[in-house]
Amino acid sequence: MAYSELEMPERADHLWRYTPWHRIHPNGELSDVPEAQGAVLELRSLDGSTEPAGVTLEVATEEDIQRLCLSGKEDVSTQFIQAMTQGNIVVLRVARKAKPSQPVLLNIECTGEVCALHLLLDVGELAEVELITRLSGDADWTGFLRQGIFGNASHVNDVVINHIGEGRLLRTDGIHLGRDAQVRGGTVGSGGASRCKADLRYIMEKEGASLKVNGSILTLDGMHNDHHVEILHLAPETYSRLDWHSACSGKSRTIGTGMLRIEAGAKGADAGQLFHNLLLSKYAEADSIPELEVSENDVVGCGHGTANGPVDDDQMFYLSTRGFNETEARDVLVAAFLNATLTEMGSTVLHQHLLKTLTQDLAVEL
Amino acid sequence: MADQMILRIKNLHVSIEDTEILRGLDLEIKAGETHALMGRNGSGKSTLANVLMGHPAYEITDGTIEFLGEDLTEMEPWERARAGLFLSFQYPQAVPGLQVGNFLRKSVQAIRGENAPGARDFRAELNAAMEELDVDKQFLGRYVNDGFSGGEKKRFEILQLLLSKPTLSVLDETDSGLDIDALQTVSKGINAAATDETGCLIITHYQRILDHVKPSHVHIMIDGKFVKTGGADLAIQVEEKGYEWLNPDTN
Repeated sequence: MAYSELEMPERADHLWRYTPWHRIHPNGELSDVPEAQGAVLELRSLDGSTEPAGVTLEVATEEDIQRLCLSGKEDVSTQFIQAMTQGNIVVLRVARKAKPSQPVLLNIECTGEVCALHLLLDVGELAEVELITRLSGDADWTGFLRQGIFGNASHVNDVVINHIGEGRLLRTDGIHLGRDAQVRGGTVGSGGASRCKADLRYIMEKEGASLKVNGSILTLDGMHNDHHVEILHLAPETYSRLDWHSACSGKSRTIGTGMLRIEAGAKGADAGQLFHNLLLSKYAEADSIPELEVSENDVVGCGHGTANGPVDDDQMFYLSTRGFNETEARDVLVAAFLNATLTEMGSTVLHQHLLKTLTQDLAVEL
Repeated sequence: MADQMILRIKNLHVSIEDTEILRGLDLEIKAGETHALMGRNGSGKSTLANVLMGHPAYEITDGTIEFLGEDLTEMEPWERARAGLFLSFQYPQAVPGLQVGNFLRKSVQAIRGENAPGARDFRAELNAAMEELDVDKQFLGRYVNDGFSGGEKKRFEILQLLLSKPTLSVLDETDSGLDIDALQTVSKGINAAATDETGCLIITHYQRILDHVKPSHVHIMIDGKFVKTGGADLAIQVEEKGYEWLNPDTN
């Protein structure tokens, strides 16, 4: 259904409770679909030494669109970005059995008043790839839609870094996992957009798929950062874990909502989600709402939890007895907290890249 | 610099949440001395260790603590560490996300300040200390105390002791939870850190570690007071007879 035909979401909707649509729409005029500037894309291997073998960036064909645009047919943000980018869709393709020796880096430079990108992900069967997508630039408003398929038995570590200036970011993912696909999905933001609304959906529709979703988010000053992660278990013997770390400072607000759905027939599904929030100032606010919908009795497990709190006093004392003054100890603990989920996002090479980005942003050695 | 006074505690009274734990302690530790502190659970041993290091939960209601002639009670914990005081924790904190290697390098830089070794010398010191304690190099890539076994935690505390080169080390039940081999290794590390310019206070439940680390003084604490002080043989007596014969309230 096209955006113009959709009913606008109510604030009572789980998805729009904390960031109503009019607060993230480019101009608040909900019927308006502003003209968007396209983003500038660069694809290379992480160290730049080689071409990423078997990985290409192409203009999407009609066949790509039919095959890969599976999600969000009635979702406002998906349809809105599709409306903005119609006819201008890019596909990142990883060939069947491709195995690039280095992580692949996709740089996306977002500029102008309104910038939008619709990216399709087409990861072939048995491919093994680590993909880092880095959003940067000074666009006032960015819309970023990713849809696609991680093929059967593929191994994909997929990390998105929000390094956008001070603009607003609307991000929507709809990723389908094939049979026995092993996927890690990471979201990183140490700083980034002043207002971010992300709706990340993973659909496990084939048996044996495995998914780990990790977040490492730092919000500063008056930032507002809202991530919704929805994991859908449709097939038997599927596995998922969500571990989300957010550190909030200043007067910032971070929101993490999770929706874990296990549909009837997904026998042997094993799912869990955990949100950790570190509150770094008395004015900072963190809301985490994990939700479960389980329609299958024969599951291995399905759990959720959330923990909010300031920097741990016992950890502070331990570091202070090791010579760290209060500021040093606190900085190190915040960085460690964010690094704890970065570690889970991929290989050592990938992790070192993410850690370097984090320590540069925080000006802390770790 | 043997005989130099390192620690002087006078009439120390300490409370936590209005409950008095330490009730008038006097203790002097000079350079070259190793003091053992024994007592039952809840007698106040770990409280003393934490108070020395400046744990904010404890309130000193009376008495003084001097460290190398300076009033220790006015210092923050990190200032105490940089002044040369080290506490090996009974239950060290885990810090997921903080790599052991980087943590050690930063900690040594902070504690030893101008005397901290450069990168090459630090690596050499680190390798030597790890060899002394039979610690695998992969240890450096792990996160601080995260998923460590009880023995690994204690080895890591002693590794920090060796690298920090403190003037006074306070070891809070470092021997608890160690098997025989690990106890010997950890004791070797404690002995390696000791010089005639340093002091050591070992808090323990058991005489066993004192077979490996010879104390010059042994103190028995009951209900927040030292009830008896003696030489190494006092620890053996306690091991054989328990603490009850030393309890002034029942004798």
